[in-house]
Amino acid sequence: MTIALAGNPNVGKSTLFNRLTGLQVVTANYPGKTVELNCGVLKHKGKTIGIIDLPGTYGLDPTSDDQWVARRAILEERPEVVVAVLDASNLQRNLYQTLQLVELELPVVIALNLIDHAETLGIRTDFQKLSKMLGAPVLPIVATKGQGIKELVEQLTSGATITSARGITAFDINLKQAIHRMEEAIKNDIEQKPFGLSPRALAVRLLENDSEFTRLLGQQEHGPRIIELSQEIGKSIESEYHEQASLVIARQRHELAKQLTEAAQILAGRTPVLSQKMMHYTVSPYTGIPLALSVIAGIFAFMLSAGGFLGDATTFLWTSFASPTIRFAVTTVVGTALLSKVLLWGFDAGIFGALSVGVPYVLTFYLILSLLEDSGYLSSVAYLADTVMHRVGLHGGAIIPMIMGFGCNVPAIMGTRVLTTRRERILACTLITLTPCSARTAVIMAAVGFFAGWQYAVAIFAIDLAIMGVVGWSLNRLIPGRTSGMVMEMFTFRLPKISAILKRTWFRFKSFMLLALPIIMIGSFALGALYETGYLQMLLAPVNPIMLALLGLPAIASICLILGVLRKELTLQLLIALAAMQYGPSASNLLLFMSPLQLFVFGLVVTLYFPCVATMTVLARELGRKNTLAIMMSTIALAMLTGAVAYRALPALGILR
Amino acid sequence: MAISHTLEEYLEAIWRLQEKATPVKTGELAQQLRVTPGAVTNTLSHLEKHKLIARTPYRGLKLTEKGRVRALSVIRKHRLAERLLTEVLHMDWSHVHDAACELEHAMTDEMIGPLEKTLKEPATCPHGNPIPDESGRIREEKSEPLSHFKPKDKAVLVKITDEKSDMLRYLASLGLMPGTIVEVQEKAPFDGPIIVKVMGASYALGRNVASLMQARRL
Repeated sequence: MTIALAGNPNVGKSTLFNRLTGLQVVTANYPGKTVELNCGVLKHKGKTIGIIDLPGTYGLDPTSDDQWVARRAILEERPEVVVAVLDASNLQRNLYQTLQLVELELPVVIALNLIDHAETLGIRTDFQKLSKMLGAPVLPIVATKGQGIKELVEQLTSGATITSARGITAFDINLKQAIHRMEEAIKNDIEQKPFGLSPRALAVRLLENDSEFTRLLGQQEHGPRIIELSQEIGKSIESEYHEQASLVIARQRHELAKQLTEAAQILAGRTPVLSQKMMHYTVSPYTGIPLALSVIAGIFAFMLSAGGFLGDATTFLWTSFASPTIRFAVTTVVGTALLSKVLLWGFDAGIFGALSVGVPYVLTFYLILSLLEDSGYLSSVAYLADTVMHRVGLHGGAIIPMIMGFGCNVPAIMGTRVLTTRRERILACTLITLTPCSARTAVIMAAVGFFAGWQYAVAIFAIDLAIMGVVGWSLNRLIPGRTSGMVMEMFTFRLPKISAILKRTWFRFKSFMLLALPIIMIGSFALGALYETGYLQMLLAPVNPIMLALLGLPAIASICLILGVLRKELTLQLLIALAAMQYGPSASNLLLFMSPLQLFVFGLVVTLYFPCVATMTVLARELGRKNTLAIMMSTIALAMLTGAVAYRALPALGILR
Repeated sequence: MAISHTLEEYLEAIWRLQEKATPVKTGELAQQLRVTPGAVTNTLSHLEKHKLIARTPYRGLKLTEKGRVRALSVIRKHRLAERLLTEVLHMDWSHVHDAACELEHAMTDEMIGPLEKTLKEPATCPHGNPIPDESGRIREEKSEPLSHFKPKDKAVLVKITDEKSDMLRYLASLGLMPGTIVEVQEKAPFDGPIIVKVMGASYALGRNVASLMQARRL
């Protein structure tokens, strides 16, 4: 048995999902779509029930990835029951999607959530009346407190067949006639109904000019004729109502949702004063901007302290326990020959590399992100950033992943899923790869700040930010299309639930590790093999003079830059390690073999060139290989160019030598 | 006086931009026409010479009365052409805009009267925008872009001028459609987004979205 949870964003759908399922959650993906589905299992009285958590959407039209995925999952999986999770404090808008579910003739059970919140606003619901009118069971719940969950589970597992609510329809006599005409035609002409939908459900979708069903029907015999008929009927609806048929349909659904709400709810009309005041202060420039800046500063402080602590702890635990064990195991099995060295690159350095990015940065970041998401504050930040983000062709929603990029580019790129168009995602991802992540910051601070002076470290950040501005500005002009407008719900502020946050953080962390770990290990094996056999040095031999001529960097620098693709902070660690081999232990003072100018150029190049295995992996998954390669190549070129200019311009200006 | 297609395109674009804000800035015009700001300057001088537009240095430009009549005649042809394409040729209403852009320049004034009769004198284009009459009068609706409203203002949406159907339908699923009453809650400075309250929920709308929504003050 399978159950799907549907509902608007932020109605507590995920909280309910977490209540119903255990920790065994699998995320599923439709190829080419960025929105994921969470699937879990509910065990009750010996029964095992699969639960699909659909993405939170306002409707089921295939106008955006999330709505497409929500609808496709329902149509393909054919769940026995769709639980429509509704926000009792905003019933009218929530019912819109429910009515679409009913039109698709799906068996619906309504879980009316947030009834406690609704009551504080003076909203009371007559569940029985609503249930009777809708022809579907309505159960009140408070998902955060676990109220009503037992009754809901009983209802779902009782075995009572839940039929779709056929009795109710949103449409007036004219539309009904139009739908009926289409229905008859479909019944007669179409053999294979897409997804086994009833002629009537198909009729509504076609009259709404649904791009997907139009395409699916177009491939069938007689399909084009049906589409023609639907367009013809659509025209006559349009001339009668003076607006597009799809809008007429949407309007009538809203009208029914309004009638249902007015009949079933008593609205005392208390406005959520506190919540509105909070929103006002978080979005008004004078109070909102300082607040946003302090929150961002707080995030960085937390990431530096908690992330730093976790990083140290990971390093300590790894070097004192895991690493020796792995070394022992590998050398016992394969000896100390070349093979063992190569294996250690992957099993020791590789896994450690993934963990040392994952635990301190990805984990802490997901924790903060989940916290901010649940509090409702993110929309305020997006609102504040909208004006600035428009300059680089993005809208306010892109600010969150952009900020994440300063911690680690990987979760940041995954976070660009909030953006709807491909153009915006390419823009945002390109800018994110240029964002100095914590690993690059470490190199800048240690190599440049410590040895050449802090003002030069600051200069690298300034140059990087300026480049990001220029790149964003020019890409916005180069890539065809324009910035899509922001349409974003401002969620009310809520106190986040710690358990839900921890659980979500864990899922996200796990999916990151599952993605990044194999890639980093494979990369480490490959580079390790090249390095240990001396091939890498051989391959680089012709490159070294170029690096020297172009950037004035010593031979060991180029090998560091290549190996830095595994982890950016490796560049510095290797630089010190290789220098020690060449010049003796005192070479940890980098100034012994590199001038401040060389260090500056090195830091600049490390900051700008993007390739980092983990980032490459997620980027390829999000944007495809072609775009990833293009971004990679252009950042390498950009790094070389900027480095070459700095190498020549700075001494000429008498700033550094 | 016959003027070239390019000039007509310009007049039309300026008129559209004027609906949102006057004076029109050269940069906005270039963006609308998808050309470089440099290319605009030349044509604008032409338009000015023909006394179709008036320019104020550093502020922008607006149509003269003559330019307005001219622009409306092009708009009229464009919107009638769209009707022609949807009504007679049964093309999908969401695809007719570009074709109408081409057609409008080929239509002579003699064609317009009979065409309007054939189409039974429609009041609006398929997207709901009013069709100006032959003397260049446009049915007055005292509406203005939602982006002009201030916090605490209440307004009813009159039309949404975006011609992309995906956006229209997305907004419709949120209840943002003609006839909906909205209350402006917040408005960011420097052409930033606004927050409107619709049926108990608040939405932030980017300024470019808000400026597509025509609303009447309540």
